[in-house]
This record gives sequence, C-alpha cells and structure tokens, in this order.
Amino acid sequence: MLPTPILKDLDYDNVYEPSEDSFLLLDCFEDENTFLSQKFGIGSPIITEIGTGSGIVTSFLMKNILPNGFYVATDVNPHACVSSINTIRLNNPDSAKIDVCQMSLTTAILPHTIDILIFNPPYVPAEEVPEIPQQYRDSRWLDLALLGGSDGMEVTWQLLDSLDSIISETGLAYILFCARNKPDLVKLEMEKRMWVVDKIIERKAGWEVLSVLRFMKRKN
Amino acid sequence: MKFITTNFVKCAVKTCSSSDKAFPLKYEECQVVLDEQQEFNPEFIVHMLDKLNWDALVKVARDLGKTDLPTQKPEGLDPIMEDDAAVLRDLHSLLIQSNIVEGKMVCENCEHIYFIKNSIPNFLLPPHLC
Repeated sequence: MLPTPILKDLDYDNVYEPSEDSFLLLDCFEDENTFLSQKFGIGSPIITEIGTGSGIVTSFLMKNILPNGFYVATDVNPHACVSSINTIRLNNPDSAKIDVCQMSLTTAILPHTIDILIFNPPYVPAEEVPEIPQQYRDSRWLDLALLGGSDGMEVTWQLLDSLDSIISETGLAYILFCARNKPDLVKLEMEKRMWVVDKIIERKAGWEVLSVLRFMKRKN
Repeated sequence: MKFITTNFVKCAVKTCSSSDKAFPLKYEECQVVLDEQQEFNPEFIVHMLDKLNWDALVKVARDLGKTDLPTQKPEGLDPIMEDDAAVLRDLHSLLIQSNIVEGKMVCENCEHIYFIKNSIPNFLLPPHLC
C-alpha cells in the first residue's frame, strides 16, 4: 500500500478536511498506478486537480504515481490555496513541480493543456451553489467545497460540458460522484457525447455510495 | 508562481477566449525569487520543452527583464552532452526555480489585472465578469 501524505497544521475551519471521498481518490489512483505509469510514465504530463483543498490527493500523485509530471492545481478558496501548497512542499520538499492557482475550475488554464484532470466536486445536493465570498475572512468558504446545487451536479456539469476543450487529445479526467448525483445516468449521457467512461472504484461510505468515473476521449 | 506556469495560463474572462491577445498575459511589477532547493531533472526539462510555447516564453521572460533567450526553441537537447546539459540547467533555473512572488498579470485584450500574492496567482473574476 502506498503511503498517505503527511498533513500538518491545516486550517479545517476554512479548508475541507480529507474524508472518505478524498481517501477513495487515493485508492483509485493506487489502482490506476500501472495504467497511468504506462500511459504517461516516460513523459511529463500536465496534471490539474480542481478544488485541491488540503492538497492530499495531488501530494499523493506527485509522490507515488507521477513524480515527473508538472502540476497546476486550482481552488477558489484562498485558504485552500495556502494549505495545499504547504502540504505539497511538506511531502515533496525538493521536487515540488507545482503551482496552486486561485481560480474557478480551469477557467484560466489554456485549452487542451491538461493531460490528467482530477475533480472531487461539491457533490452534495442543495438548493443552490453558494456564491464566492468577497472577503478573505468569511465562514462560507467551506460551503463551496460541499454544496453542488440541483442533484449536486451543477458544478460537475459545468466542467463536463467543456471537458472536451479542457483536456489534451490523449487526456483523462477522474471525477468523484455520490449515488445522489446519478453517476450511471452521467455515464450514459457522456457516452452519447462520444466519451469512453469507466467506473474505476466504488465504495459505501456511511450512508453514501461514492464512486470515481474516468473519462477519455474516444479515438476515431 | 513558477515561470513555467506563465506558459499555461491565460485571461479567465470568457469573451477573451477567442482573442490571441489573452495569452500570454503581460507581467508587470514582478518580484522574482530563485528557489534553489528545487532539484534539477534534465529529462523533465526536455519533456516540458516539447510542450512549451517558445514565443510566449520569450515574451514573458522579456517582461521580467530577461532578454538573452534565443528566438528559436532549442531542439533535440541531449542531457549527456555537456553543452546541452548547460542549456537545460539554465532552463531549469528559469522555468522551475524562478518564482514570481508578487506581481501583476494584465490581459492585453480586456486589460483586466490579476494579482500574484505570496506566490499564488489569483484568477478569480469579479461577479460582473464571470
């Protein structure tokens, strides 16, 4: 089993604390290790985790799976940007080939740049997706990591709708879902749009069922 | 924000996505610090060089006061060759060790200004530009 990154002095009042969903992603990438190493191991892929939070998932990938990639992680939450960079430096002190950028999804990253995209979205169904706070000190930053509007899918669909232009020709996206997001319907819809979609891992976590789907462009 | 990242980021404003002036951003009033702890991995630089937009790289380097880069992208560098290794080491210093700690990034299409603070670039837009 690959080691879990060390987390230290994180501000869990303002940053999402790693939970079952984060650990499911770590296990997902442990399962995908051989596949990813074969596909990208010789080169240097560009890897982006959206909503990197504590930085645990990106640190894990950098240390254990794809040490030769370059990472551009994003988070809307300024507290998370600081936390993630601290976690990544703590775990990879002399090879932190990463920048963490404060942004929504991948809106400031050049199209067709990202080879591996990872997203643990705000997947909890809610009346609406919260607005981005305008102040640094605001108790609502954490809500952005959780609340995903209708079916918990509003933010995820925003990403899926533009996925084709975000990732590179040989790119992949790993996205986490809970059962209430109806991942089977998402898979069907994306397959209609010519994506190859595979369920990599699924697990019951308390009263939730979490899964990770992998999206690849279909080769013509 | 490492220098290499300037090659991957553009203006976040939707209406700028079709403009060729939204990339690269223009870098102003930047404070650059060399992070020498970052280890040199020549193969990594060779692989990244393949992906980089050299014209954009030269332009941003000029913004930051570095004007001695060749106008053509160095091709076919071999880390075993002494001269090539020196070029790769210089590129490592520029791409990975050079860190923009504070500064401004300006879109030359819409003129929106983004800020870099404590090495973290902020691309969030005010609500009226989202």
